[in-house]
Amino acid sequence: MENYTKYRLKDKDELVSVLAGKDNLFIIACNKCFKEFETIDEPECSEFEKLAAENGKTVTGSARVDFLCNKTQTENKLQDMIPEGTENIFVISCGLGIQTVADLAGKPVYAATNSLNYTGYHGMALTERKCDACAQCYLNVTGGICPIVDCSKSLVNGQCGGAKDGKCEVDSSKDCAWEKIYRRLEKQGRLEEFLNQPVQLRDYSKVNFKFVNDYVKSIRENRLDGYYGGVHPSERKEFTEHLALKRFPEPEEVVIPLSMHAGAPANPVVQVGDTVKVGQKIGEAAGFISAPVHSSVSGTVVAIEDHGHATRGTCLSVVIKSDGKDTLDESVKPNKSLEELTPDEIVEIVKEAGIVGMGGAGFPTSVKLKPAKPVDTILLNGCECEPLLTADHRVLLEYVDDVIYGLKAIIKAVGAEKGVIVIEDNKPDAIELMKEKTAAIDNIEVVEAKTKYPQGAEKMLIKRVTGRKVPSGGLPADVGCVVSNISTTKAISDAIQKGMPLVERVVTVTGERLKNPGNFIVKIGTNTQDLIDYCGGLVGDDITIKAGGPMMGFVLSDTNVPIMKGSNGIIAVETDHTKEQPCIKCGRCMDVCPMELSPLYFAKFADEENWQGMKDKNVMDCIECRCCEYICSSKIPLVTKIKAGKNAVRGMK
Amino acid sequence: MLITELKSREALAPLVEGKKVFIINCEGCKEVHFPGKEAAEFQKELISAGCVTGTITTDYICNPDNMKLRLQKHMSEIEAADVVLVFSCGVGVQTIANYLEEKKVCAACDTYPLPGFQGVTPLEYKCDQCGECWLNLTGGICPITACSKSLVNGQCGGSKNGMCEVDSSMECGWERIQRRLEQIGRLDLLKCPTNVRNFATDEEVSK
Repeated sequence: MENYTKYRLKDKDELVSVLAGKDNLFIIACNKCFKEFETIDEPECSEFEKLAAENGKTVTGSARVDFLCNKTQTENKLQDMIPEGTENIFVISCGLGIQTVADLAGKPVYAATNSLNYTGYHGMALTERKCDACAQCYLNVTGGICPIVDCSKSLVNGQCGGAKDGKCEVDSSKDCAWEKIYRRLEKQGRLEEFLNQPVQLRDYSKVNFKFVNDYVKSIRENRLDGYYGGVHPSERKEFTEHLALKRFPEPEEVVIPLSMHAGAPANPVVQVGDTVKVGQKIGEAAGFISAPVHSSVSGTVVAIEDHGHATRGTCLSVVIKSDGKDTLDESVKPNKSLEELTPDEIVEIVKEAGIVGMGGAGFPTSVKLKPAKPVDTILLNGCECEPLLTADHRVLLEYVDDVIYGLKAIIKAVGAEKGVIVIEDNKPDAIELMKEKTAAIDNIEVVEAKTKYPQGAEKMLIKRVTGRKVPSGGLPADVGCVVSNISTTKAISDAIQKGMPLVERVVTVTGERLKNPGNFIVKIGTNTQDLIDYCGGLVGDDITIKAGGPMMGFVLSDTNVPIMKGSNGIIAVETDHTKEQPCIKCGRCMDVCPMELSPLYFAKFADEENWQGMKDKNVMDCIECRCCEYICSSKIPLVTKIKAGKNAVRGMK
Repeated sequence: MLITELKSREALAPLVEGKKVFIINCEGCKEVHFPGKEAAEFQKELISAGCVTGTITTDYICNPDNMKLRLQKHMSEIEAADVVLVFSCGVGVQTIANYLEEKKVCAACDTYPLPGFQGVTPLEYKCDQCGECWLNLTGGICPITACSKSLVNGQCGGSKNGMCEVDSSMECGWERIQRRLEQIGRLDLLKCPTNVRNFATDEEVSK
């Protein structure tokens, strides 16, 4: 594997002369990038420390930092890094890292290293191919062999004539690039085409530095817009965003898992043979962090047994055969109006209705509505930043009044000052409608947020809208916020206005491998395969089916699993064939991690089963948004490794 | 670090005229840059003209192993095409061309350099990899890249109102260096002996 390490220590004589007259040194070494991730202990730092000691210098300390050129992170790290009494800072890094530190440190900064000359190596993978970025790609003329980097003289109109036995006259270890080009074109039968090509002139003014420099400025601003990190995966929402909600036909049988939420599974309160009605409680909450479960059909309980579950493997579930009559349970009746309800009554209704976070995590909403700290702002997450999914988008459009009602209920239950509905700018119709509907409401505002995944993650949402940062290991309530999902908010409205517990939800069934995508109102417990069949089935082979979106969804190896409270989507996408490759320390995962973690270490430490290392690198702060895995140029299954690390760290306590 | 721009329509037209085309989009560096809108527009035209045998949108085609795994499924579509049109930087095009040695592989984009290496993020700093770092003498502002003339012994004298005479939108690198040195109390560094640049490459030096 190539190694693009870009610096080496200056020679001893030069370093000694630089050190002369300087004392109280602090040393910052950049852990090298673009090389195989073998060690986190690069030798240069200790070599330089040794040299400084030999020359009688006091070293106030040293630090090894990843990707020193990542200015935002370096700035954060520098704040507490440099001890008092430091007079001079020596940086071991390529020229970029040194300049970054020099700009931020406010103290004399010196280079202990020279950057190595690796001109042309620009690919993300460690490859032998080079590109000199000449801004006038010649590869179309030369059969894909670059005359600028492969020819010593960068000739663009054929060989110089100086090659001997196919070797370059400038560097006899190199093949003549033009001989290679000739052979390639001959093989492809393109010699004629090449020989008839007009003479090429290299235009050195093509690289427009103004364009490049302006671009750099704009991209830095864009990258850091709202919160650090994040990615922009292809949205592909056009399959379903314009499709109105349709009610999925009454299922013949539903399988309702007793665990569709975070915390303890519900305890069944019905028996095989019992007749049940829509909205009737069939499982009761088994603790503080738990939620009751209700029947979504009227009919007969035919089994209470373990059944396939999208996220837990198997789970005790109540199987109900529908009588097709959809008879409502007597308990389903409207509550008092919102004005008459007390905050405690609202929380009780939400609890009894079995409402849990419907974005996927399934945290019981009633617990969220009783925050331990005072809350001033309720954020409604209308981002739906997951690609492909449009369920919340449709709910926003088609149940706008219910969503606003639900938000008012949350504001009242929590005693907050205001509610903010945050919608990403890829849903202009929803923004417009919501603005119109809330114009006359004083304490509700609509915020349009620029699309960036994972904006819907509560910590990112809070940072973006309020600028507050939820502390490590903390909850939104620590910074005075409660975040609620759109579908959840609509469910709260249904629970209050209709008395209807959470027995159905909106599901987007989509993906490029699904015949007829759509948005459906689906009863909890409906079989996933029935949903896929109803949409015309799958197209082609080599398909991956996921419950949820492409980023955070769970792969379904078996589609015989029920739709649950948190099932916002079922997607069928093309399987991506890649295999895990060694980490090359490209630094992209650190650039995109919204929690500002260093995912590359999680991969390394998980392989070494170094769980303490995982803990020290704050693995527990990871929100499993999968940005790192998405961007990874070596296709390392980072989230799987992170989950293993989290489990092990939990076990350490 | 590299970014790309779609080639002009005049340059692209002869590559695809009357030909069957297989399209490869590389979005590995999309978080930095990809001319997504322009590329999509052009590809739409090609598709509606009925000359596209297949499209894949993937990432990091510069990584040959995964590129191969992903292309394998599409080999029949590639074989049916006269030309494989790659929307990526020059590294990506060369990697594909090397793999599909018998196929005409063309670049749909031109590649531009960005300040910074392929490194983590595009930066406002540049490093020319000169192999003899000058930052010690200049308070951490690089005279090779921040001065249009890459002077290493002080200003040329041509700047006007602090702006470079070569590029009036650029601040004079040596004025910046002077200010920085003043700020950190190291103006004495300017009294160092005259410097001579060594243009030899690392390889030559090591010989």
